[in-house]
Amino acid sequence: MKTRTQRRLGNLGAYVLLTLLSIYCIFPFFWMVVSALKPKREVRARIPTLWPKDLTFENFTSVLGKHGFVTYIRNSMIVALSACLLSLVISILAGYVFSRFFRHHMVRFSNLAMLISQMIPGVLLLVPLYITMRNLGILESYLSLILAYTTFVIPLCTFMLSSAFDSIPMSLEEAAVLDGCGRLGTIRRVILPIMIPSIVSVGLYAFITAWNEFMFGYIFISQEKYRTITPAIMFFKGANSVDWGGLMAASVIAVLPVAMIFLFLQRYFMAGLMSGAVKG
Amino acid sequence: MATKAKVRTGRRPVSRDRADSRFAAAALAPAWIFLAVLIGYPLVQVLIDTFNHVNLINPAVSGFAGLDNFREVVADPHFGGAVRNTVVWTAGSVVGEYAIGLVAALLLNRKVRGQAAFRVMTFIPWLVPIIVAGMTWAWMLNPDFGIVNYLLTKFGVIDQPINFLGNKHWAMPTVIFVNVWRSFPYYTISFLAALQAIPGDLYEAAQIDGASPWRRFISVTMPHLRSVSLIIVFIHIIWTAVNFDFIWVMTEGGPNYATITLPILIYRYSMKEFNVGQASALSTMMLIGTSLIFVVYYRYRRKLSEEIVG
Repeated sequence: MKTRTQRRLGNLGAYVLLTLLSIYCIFPFFWMVVSALKPKREVRARIPTLWPKDLTFENFTSVLGKHGFVTYIRNSMIVALSACLLSLVISILAGYVFSRFFRHHMVRFSNLAMLISQMIPGVLLLVPLYITMRNLGILESYLSLILAYTTFVIPLCTFMLSSAFDSIPMSLEEAAVLDGCGRLGTIRRVILPIMIPSIVSVGLYAFITAWNEFMFGYIFISQEKYRTITPAIMFFKGANSVDWGGLMAASVIAVLPVAMIFLFLQRYFMAGLMSGAVKG
Repeated sequence: MATKAKVRTGRRPVSRDRADSRFAAAALAPAWIFLAVLIGYPLVQVLIDTFNHVNLINPAVSGFAGLDNFREVVADPHFGGAVRNTVVWTAGSVVGEYAIGLVAALLLNRKVRGQAAFRVMTFIPWLVPIIVAGMTWAWMLNPDFGIVNYLLTKFGVIDQPINFLGNKHWAMPTVIFVNVWRSFPYYTISFLAALQAIPGDLYEAAQIDGASPWRRFISVTMPHLRSVSLIIVFIHIIWTAVNFDFIWVMTEGGPNYATITLPILIYRYSMKEFNVGQASALSTMMLIGTSLIFVVYYRYRRKLSEEIVG
């Protein structure tokens, strides 16, 4: 009897703490959305209202229209999707080799190089990267961001995909090779279809990393027509320091794609994170 | 037929090996090109620029500098403060993230109804762009219209609203707090994966032996988290120490340099003062620091593996 009441109490305590934890995690999003939906004078009220009295979309229309966030969203989409596809192609090839030819010296060396490069933070390479992009003549373009984002996600994507390839038996592809498929053909027609869950989670990681990145976008791009959404929010804050409603609307817009992806595909995502997180 | 088959099996291994090697090299080539051009080359360039006079916009500045760039960095009146702030920022963030990450993982590991929903909610902060995390909290902590100050004054915790990001004593704890909020889910994910790998009979055995919950946590849970703790703590020490975004979007290093850290100094040297040599010297110093942390990690890792294996 005692243990049962103890367990009940324990569960109750756990619920209380879990609820507090959820509030801590979720409340800022709730407040972001609520503030974005308030008219200007209600945003700047002495006593904040928990829910907008006059619900309005004027913050969204002003941010999207007057402040050009439609362009920034498009730019972010172009950059993040390109970086995601490019890094997937590169790390599928590299991950396959890592998994199937792990005894090769070349593979061991590449593995080490990727581990080291993953430990080198982008900010320390900021200046030479800037100069490299300038010398390549791609400073004010999508290409500079696509290349930078791709490079910095390649190592982790390769590691995650290589462990996904590990779980696929060699016999499967040997059969396909005997049937006359070339190596690339085998990968494309036989192996990749089975690996779709892993590929989706790796692709999501690459997309979200690129979508969320701030520093390179802030430094490589100074023209508004190429600006991505995260630096755009920083510049919006600088120019409209008192327009908190607009700032929150812009934040909602920046979070929305990522939140949608996560909520719909969280099963893939959590599994991928759990397997990749520890290896880091 | 028989001879043909024999010939084929006799010849195959050699040509196949070579074909394999060629395939492996070709498949690794794109990754190598990216890493070489955008990480390897810049890395070498940083090391070269460290010992030269280089200006970002004025090509006339040139020549061998010896150790001048290092001297300039160390002589910078904000350097000492930036080192101290970087240590405080890193230590505060990692300790806070570890504590909250661990508690959250233990809670989310309990089998309660709605576990999946709680897990999803806990991970959401980690997905947010840093700028959004920074702006949302800056708004919530706003001294005039922010909800946090409103609630704190309403419930009598404080008399006057606090200008969290504008006050030099509060700015650093505040950015650390926001960083912890966004980063702790990574710890939780890693801890959860490790917790699920602990065999349940260990707990049963401990319970039969009369171990209290706290005792079970210390003697069963914690030892199994050592390995994962080591790696995520060290990764985060490096990630946090070199993080530019968080502090830049919230305070830009202010107020009055109260939150300036080394990455922000690098940014100022390069993008504001265009002094590439000085920025590279500081980058090199940080690279050395990072490598030292890595060596320490490696030695701990070794010791831990030896303990675990035998």
